[in-house]
Amino acid sequence: MGYILTEEGKELVATVKEFCENEVKEQCKEFDMSGEFPENIVKMGAEMGLSAIEVPEQYGGVGIDAVTCAAICEEMAKADAGFYTTMSATGLALRPVLIAGSEEQKKWACDIVLNGGQAAFGLTEPMAGSDSSNTKTVAVKDDDGYVLNGRKCFITNGGIADFYVIFAMTNKSRGIRGISAFIVPKGTEGLSVGNHENKMGIRTSNTTDVVLEDVRLPHSALLGKEGMGFMIAMKTLDMSRAYVGAGAVGIAQRCIEEAVKYSKQRITFGSPISNHQAIQFMLADMDIKTETARAMVVQAVLRQEQGLSFAKESAIAKCYAGDIAVQVALDAIQILGGYGYSREYPVEKLLRDAKIFQIYEGTNQIQRSVIAKSVLKGM
Amino acid sequence: MDNCIFVVMETAEGVIKNVGLEMITPAKEIAAAKSLKTVAVVLGKNLAETAKQAANYGADAVITVELNSDYSSDEYAFAVAEICKKYNPEAVFIGATQNGKDLAPRVAVKLNTGCASDVTGIKMGDDGKIHFTCPVYGGTILAENVIDTLPQMATIRGGVFKKCEPAESTAEIINENITPENVKTKIVDVVKEISESVNLEDAEVIVAGGRGMGSAENFSLVKELADVLGGVVGATRAPIESGWISRAHQIGQSGKIVAPKLYIACGISGATQHVTGMVGSDYIVAINKDEDAPIFDVANVGIVGNVMQVIPEMINEIKKLRA
Amino acid sequence: MEILVCVKQVPDDSVKIGLNSSGKPAVDGVTMVANAFDTYALEMATRLKEANEGTITVVAIGPEKAKDALKSCLAVGASKAYIVNEDGLGDMDSLTTGYTLSKAVAKIEELNGAKFDIIFCGKETTDCTTGMVGAQLAERLGIGCVTGIVDIELKDGGISVKQETEEGYNVVETSLPAVVTVNKPAYDPRYPTMKSKMAARKIPIGEISKADLGVEDDKIVPSVKVISLSEPPKKQAGVKINEKTFEDTMAKAMEILKDAKVF
Repeated sequence: MGYILTEEGKELVATVKEFCENEVKEQCKEFDMSGEFPENIVKMGAEMGLSAIEVPEQYGGVGIDAVTCAAICEEMAKADAGFYTTMSATGLALRPVLIAGSEEQKKWACDIVLNGGQAAFGLTEPMAGSDSSNTKTVAVKDDDGYVLNGRKCFITNGGIADFYVIFAMTNKSRGIRGISAFIVPKGTEGLSVGNHENKMGIRTSNTTDVVLEDVRLPHSALLGKEGMGFMIAMKTLDMSRAYVGAGAVGIAQRCIEEAVKYSKQRITFGSPISNHQAIQFMLADMDIKTETARAMVVQAVLRQEQGLSFAKESAIAKCYAGDIAVQVALDAIQILGGYGYSREYPVEKLLRDAKIFQIYEGTNQIQRSVIAKSVLKGM
Repeated sequence: MDNCIFVVMETAEGVIKNVGLEMITPAKEIAAAKSLKTVAVVLGKNLAETAKQAANYGADAVITVELNSDYSSDEYAFAVAEICKKYNPEAVFIGATQNGKDLAPRVAVKLNTGCASDVTGIKMGDDGKIHFTCPVYGGTILAENVIDTLPQMATIRGGVFKKCEPAESTAEIINENITPENVKTKIVDVVKEISESVNLEDAEVIVAGGRGMGSAENFSLVKELADVLGGVVGATRAPIESGWISRAHQIGQSGKIVAPKLYIACGISGATQHVTGMVGSDYIVAINKDEDAPIFDVANVGIVGNVMQVIPEMINEIKKLRA
Repeated sequence: MEILVCVKQVPDDSVKIGLNSSGKPAVDGVTMVANAFDTYALEMATRLKEANEGTITVVAIGPEKAKDALKSCLAVGASKAYIVNEDGLGDMDSLTTGYTLSKAVAKIEELNGAKFDIIFCGKETTDCTTGMVGAQLAERLGIGCVTGIVDIELKDGGISVKQETEEGYNVVETSLPAVVTVNKPAYDPRYPTMKSKMAARKIPIGEISKADLGVEDDKIVPSVKVISLSEPPKKQAGVKINEKTFEDTMAKAMEILKDAKVF
């Protein structure tokens, strides 16, 4: 079961697991209830370098291989998917910089993340989620740089980021080819944090609106060239998707662990329910789905690491893992029966947490479109 | 005075610590089996009256060593080793207090002998050696040890043995003068942060609270229940680290080891480190909302429920019973 | 400043260890970790090093696998590590452990080309819990020792430490070199970072054999011998009360407690 890891990978994953078991898992239960942000836990995670696992070695990163990264994502999500989301959202925002940024921009952003800072990826808008051509945020160029206006929504780390990558229209007439990407440091005048979302799940993560009112940026804030924004965003999402799948696998794995633990203890008709075939088959199906999803995650991240095409595989990994996480969570609730439905027990939270994995970083409908396009093209 | 067993007595302001007097009991049993004398070695300040106390509790003879403090590592280790070299005891028992645990290993090296640690059982073996029972792995395993070298040293856990009934004694009292050499450490300040004296070891009833009490305010319920039952308040490490109660109340591997008649565990999950310290209690009642909490494995009665509901109701019921 | 931290690898102390079918401690399959008090000692040493300057070396006596404990120390403050291979050392008690460690200290000082100023030990191990090795090491080395400390600072070329007592603490001063044994301080040991964990992998662990130590054979014969191991009598499982309603639960509980004459 699990990932085939190098010795080094095993040690790193064991370290993350120990931290998550001791400092995240139980603690985040309370934060999930209250909806408060677990500031101290996030600080500890960032200090450990959990939001910086994707920083390349040449910019001071540790240089962790792709499968180990996936295993680390799984461990974080297994303890608390909100915590995982916070950590990985920083990696998500760093990616556009690594894809299109100048050396100076890359160094600047990596330093922030390596020092425990967080970042936010600002693409989604109230009327532009999957359909980026509808982006309303605009960046108007003048001699001194750009002036940004607009509103982003559902931005993970929106209220805690040290820098934002904001996507804005520089040329409306060109549609998605008129979108550009900008780095906006925290505290830039005109940048403010709007409404905090009161979410169904991943409640320990920070999700807010980000408001841009006459935000003045220098030319050097532009990532790559004007009009490259959409390409940068898509490439970013392609690359991060498989790791989102790893997060979903973490939830599914936790569901199995909770269900197994309960079914060995719970006695009905004179025997633990784990002896009943009805439960055994459910557990088997949960494990089949989870192992399959994990294998797909590995396939996708390895293809990416080895320079092969990976967009379709990443989409499959994310889509499948997100779907099965929800199904497996439902099964876990069913196995725990009434207790599964109770907030005293951990599995109802797992269902609420799992649902977002069918929605964020491209809904699973969008993933299917990506996959279908690729399948049709290939035949 | 050849052929004797030494019982080393730690004093605090001229009063012998309980464990010192308790150790006379097993020492006398061993002494009887091997025709030895039980000799109390009393160290500290102003010992004129103190020595008498040791004799009254059954020591055949008392050796006193006047030193400048109630305890100081270098001086005491030197003094005890010197006395041992002079009298060659067959065995040396030292109370497993914090100071005793500091003292014993150093004396053992000076005498080049073995020392059993934190002993909870002592008996004379057929092999002519003393058999010491020592808890290991936090008390989940008991090791029976013998010591091949002389003197057979041991630190003895407090509260395990019962003191003898005191009686007027005419035992010989010898004053030894020892000037410690080679003193390297110096206690420059003694800070008392905890003013309350908490006698967990001798309590018949202990009501203890854990992390599950939730807050300092809620923790006061533990105190309330203890008051109603005339018991003493205990705690696991979590409430102490959260500042709900002082360190003097800690029970477990890094706190006190207790064995009251009644132990009520409130909101305590039952981690090994804690259970080690209380599993010897005669009757254990556990209250916890988590039905799978390991504390229920050692409880005579486990109540699955919210401490905030159960404790007040229990207090009411007890008050009714006592009315 | 040269600092040594002595570390023992022990079975995870959060796992309850009983006896196996052959009457030995059932440690098979239990994760081996650095002794908790030793990790407190390392954290205290690391903070002292960070506040001043210096190098931390860690040493363990044990089998090849004990290198894992040393590796974990290298990721949280130590920069050098040595393992004393237990082959040929036989069964050890605290007296022989203290002696062997004193020889290891001399050997490492020779290899490092510098004397240690402070030697940190945990106040006890969580497996044998004798709490004697640190003080016995100090005796063997003929240097000062303070046991059960919770804080340390440098003072006038020596150290000033807080030694926990039942009523509070003592402030104890001693010259250097010295041995200190560490109780649980007010803080927890840090977690390794991804970076420090990777860096620790690259540090070689020095190996010291019995022959390197030059121990005298008659001094490694243990005085304390284990005759037998047993488990304390098990408490028989009691009753667990979990009725449908709170009232029923309380009624039943009070009935049992009254019958047992507990209240």
